[in-house]
Amino acid sequence: MLDIQNLNVVYGTGRLRVDAVKNVSFHVEPGAAYGLVGESGSGKSTVLRAICGLAPISDGRVLVDGQAVTTPRGKAFYRTVQMVFQDPYASLHPRHTVDRTLSEPLAIHGEKDAEARILQALREVGLGPSFRFRYPHQLSGGQRQRIAIARALILRPKVLLLDEPTSALDASVQAEILNLLDDLRRRLGLTYILVSHDLAVVAHLCERLLVMRNGEAVEETLAESLRSGAASNGYTQALIQASQGFTRVASQPAQALAG
Amino acid sequence: MTTPLLDVEDLRVRFHLRTGIVEAVRGVSFQLGRERLGIVGESGSGKSQTGRAILGLTPPPGEVTAKRLAFDGIDLLTASKRTLRTLRGGRISMVMQDPKYSLNPVMTIGEQIIEAYQAHAKASRNEARDKALAMLEAVKMRDPGRVFSLYPHEVSGGMGQRAMIAMMLVTDPDMLIADEPTSALDVTVSMEVLRILDELVTERGMGLIFISHDLKLVSSFCDRVLVMYAGRVVEELEAKNLREAQHPYTQGLMRCLPTLADDVRPLPTLNRDPSWAL
Repeated sequence: MLDIQNLNVVYGTGRLRVDAVKNVSFHVEPGAAYGLVGESGSGKSTVLRAICGLAPISDGRVLVDGQAVTTPRGKAFYRTVQMVFQDPYASLHPRHTVDRTLSEPLAIHGEKDAEARILQALREVGLGPSFRFRYPHQLSGGQRQRIAIARALILRPKVLLLDEPTSALDASVQAEILNLLDDLRRRLGLTYILVSHDLAVVAHLCERLLVMRNGEAVEETLAESLRSGAASNGYTQALIQASQGFTRVASQPAQALAG
Repeated sequence: MTTPLLDVEDLRVRFHLRTGIVEAVRGVSFQLGRERLGIVGESGSGKSQTGRAILGLTPPPGEVTAKRLAFDGIDLLTASKRTLRTLRGGRISMVMQDPKYSLNPVMTIGEQIIEAYQAHAKASRNEARDKALAMLEAVKMRDPGRVFSLYPHEVSGGMGQRAMIAMMLVTDPDMLIADEPTSALDVTVSMEVLRILDELVTERGMGLIFISHDLKLVSSFCDRVLVMYAGRVVEELEAKNLREAQHPYTQGLMRCLPTLADDVRPLPTLNRDPSWAL
């Protein structure tokens, strides 16, 4: 479904040159969920942004359905690939109602039958028709993220790019959104790329994942081997350890990180 | 132990708004000795407002009442502004969530630590400077001299947070309130910051109030945990006994986190019982 080949993203030139993504390649099968994990600055979000045209591709290729993407991306691309952002407080227009937010993609792509589509989209993300004419400030964080997911799904894309979709949410709301995403993928046969710093979230939603650090791919592994602790790389091990909570007997992950 | 370090009884924080009265904290009571106390809850549970009320930092139009709010025998509600000023930053200090917003952007880190120290201790500039450098070293800055002369925008989030901890601990406080000190940081960096915080708190025998939304983190870091829901403490327990939590809210919070250890699908969600908020 999605093929990333030797992707490089470079910002600036000369002294100010920053290599945000260095030679990253991976392949995602149709209907699969693929995770990108790493600390901030590891380039995981930049990979997503490069796929959907929000960051420049300096070198390498991005293939969707076997076809290389063009810059700027065409309408057909956005019909196939849509994105959900991290902060639902920032990604919805504060002065547009839910109805207007959801009808905009339909209008851009000249879709008919907007009314029924909007009501269906709301139903899919578990919200009733009563939410249709609300403004974002009249919704809770979890409801906003549901609207952001509905907006991404309303064009019936095949690929959903998820950039930390639950990290701005409370634990109990996070569980609801993760269940929703899991359920939608199964029902609609979607392909996901999930970016998160939380290993447990990635392992829950994805089958395969790529650990990134300083713009480079460190290790591609299976969620299964994360669970069983079979990840070979020292950096991955350090991440696993840090995600287990604070340990008073210092196991010195800092050393593993430096190495 | 005769008098506890902090004694809070029936603390309430009210906001008089145009739309009515919102009670953010509704009758919270606890005592703190020289230990690590965690306060956990979701957004809106009143955990941060509890921390702020103790320091008298409730933003207007908030109103704080309590049957008793005493720090080391000093009543914080009736204390004069002057007394409060000497306590705040001196004997009680607070580490905020995001170093980007809580450090002064136009002062170097060293200057800020010196300012904090000289506000509470009679010290010459040279003494204060030595103290600041020692403090930066205590929070494991690799090159204290260099960090001393840097501005907050020139350091990373983890370094900024360590600088803030240095600033807050330079006056040797008896009690530290940490409000989500690591939420803005990466997992591996936050472990490092916590380790430093843990060391300093244990070494100096401080009382620590650690406010966080992360149940797992708090239970692994603190001795005792208060779980808050809708402005009340619904459960108090020893951190190591978190698995045996009695209240359905605490149990629900524990269960709804995805874990690496086992694969539950769908994740159990939290059914909020209206009676919890009563």
